[in-house]
Amino acid sequence: MHPLLVSRARLGTYLLGWVPIALLLAGIARSQGWNWLEATSLALPLCLLGALLFLGTWYLCRAMPLQNTVDGLATQSAVWGTAALLMGGLWAGLAWLLARVLAWLPGLGALPQRVQLALPVITGLGILLYLASVALSYLMLAQARALEAERKGAELQLLAQESELKALRAQLNPHFLFNSLNSLSALTAVDPVRAREMCVLLSEFLRRSLGLGERRLVALREELDLARAYLAIEQIRFGSRLRLDLTVDPATEPALLPTLLLQPLVENAIKHGIAALPEGGTLVLTTELVEGHVILRVENPRDSDAPTPQGLGLGLGLRQVRQRLLGRFGSRARFEATSLAETHRVTLVFPLETEP
Amino acid sequence: MRALIIDDEDLARAVVRQHLEAHPDVEVAAECANGFEALKAAAQHQPDLIFLDIQMPKLDGFEVLELLEAEGRRPAVIFVTAYDQHALRAFEAHAVDYLLKPFAKERFDAALAKARLLVAAQPAVPPPPAAELAATARQGRPLERIVVKDGPKVTVIHLDRLDWVQAQDDYVLLRTEGKSILKQQTLASLETQLDPARFIRIHRSYILNLDRLVRVEQDTKEHRDAVLRDGTRLPVSRAGYQRLRELWEDA
Repeated sequence: MHPLLVSRARLGTYLLGWVPIALLLAGIARSQGWNWLEATSLALPLCLLGALLFLGTWYLCRAMPLQNTVDGLATQSAVWGTAALLMGGLWAGLAWLLARVLAWLPGLGALPQRVQLALPVITGLGILLYLASVALSYLMLAQARALEAERKGAELQLLAQESELKALRAQLNPHFLFNSLNSLSALTAVDPVRAREMCVLLSEFLRRSLGLGERRLVALREELDLARAYLAIEQIRFGSRLRLDLTVDPATEPALLPTLLLQPLVENAIKHGIAALPEGGTLVLTTELVEGHVILRVENPRDSDAPTPQGLGLGLGLRQVRQRLLGRFGSRARFEATSLAETHRVTLVFPLETEP
Repeated sequence: MRALIIDDEDLARAVVRQHLEAHPDVEVAAECANGFEALKAAAQHQPDLIFLDIQMPKLDGFEVLELLEAEGRRPAVIFVTAYDQHALRAFEAHAVDYLLKPFAKERFDAALAKARLLVAAQPAVPPPPAAELAATARQGRPLERIVVKDGPKVTVIHLDRLDWVQAQDDYVLLRTEGKSILKQQTLASLETQLDPARFIRIHRSYILNLDRLVRVEQDTKEHRDAVLRDGTRLPVSRAGYQRLRELWEDA
């Protein structure tokens, strides 16, 4: 699409640019002894015709990008020169035709004769204007290219952010890791059997989370397995303070979702819920299938003395979960974080899509 | 030597206890699963040494230490934590030791030996106050809540519930949800701990939570008042007004 035709404002600006040219033309005509009526009634329509005629230059310019070799430039100059001569001539021809038509009107009878005399001047002006339109077209093309490059740059930046996210996802929560190892170090002396069990759980969790970090989409089943391994470890750490209530609808298990979306929800529930309460509490995780949509809910008790996060004051972790969920499913998904006095609940709703 | 083990995780306390078995001269007076239990146990047992976790529910390790200090207790402290090690490295300069979970026997014994020295001979340079250690560990991040001990009662004030603060000699009067609570701290020292984008020193004697401010009224030529949401009026000094204007101009 021609860049000047995409909006009325641009076309208007372009046509306005022709007004001084029309005035110049009329001025030249006046200096040659034309009267005002003759000068304006030829200059205005002629310039309008020129404006439309020279719009075509852009298509030719696009088809023939500027060369930067001397030979290429020479060839192009020749082409543009020829085209300019032709277009100048065409424009002058139009002026002549116009004069013939206008001569029918009262008071303009002398116009054809006057135009006849001015044909060389009109041709010359046409050539100059045509060359100017060539320059303008190249300028617009260059600008469009710059914009395009900028857009591509932004796109690349987005990609970089995505890969940064990937690195972030693969990164394990060091606090969790060190605390688990510390629990393990206690168990080795008092309960070697449970110590071994914890080693296995920890390895399973590590293996799963490393494996998941590589993929973009994953079945909910795998996310749940990871969460179960994680929670089993936290249960050893927190003992009776952490109680679990997991209800999984098997129909939701094959649902695909962005990788490691559930993990931050579960980690948050532990960190801001269970770990913040001396007596601990119950972490509730449910999934259900309703009208082709998976509803995934994570709920934890919260410290009623702590201030409730206002509005969308989500932590970085939850913000990323929301962004990635909506990035994948768009308006077909919903993210909801509710903070009541004593419970915090995060709900994800997304369409059930499975591996083909 | 009497010691307390303060950690919200059973197994974490068990590790310290196991390591202490090799040191019969250290008696574990109590194990505490949270800060409140720790304060009670400290009053009861007068410990010489505490093993203190940092991340705990309700009261964190620094807050426990601060409250103990407010009662005039300053046992030797060994922080036991999975906290960021970079933040804690600065403690070495303050003669306060820390153990990063999980830790080896040798490291534990070394920390204990250091604590023994500290308990036996009062050091020439006393360890810095808890608030200072906490600020070091926060690494420049502003305070999120304030703890105050008033007799047996501990109050935790989350900063978005703090309306304004008034200086009263060596104390600050904290105004929160219609209540006034006194804490022994100077206004200047509190000011350095608060987020300068949220709390403004509007007067020599007042710090204001910006969120509570509705408008500033000029009474006479030289006298201005800050009008708060609940209708309270606090004086604004010329320098305080200048600070408010700078903040508004930046916004």
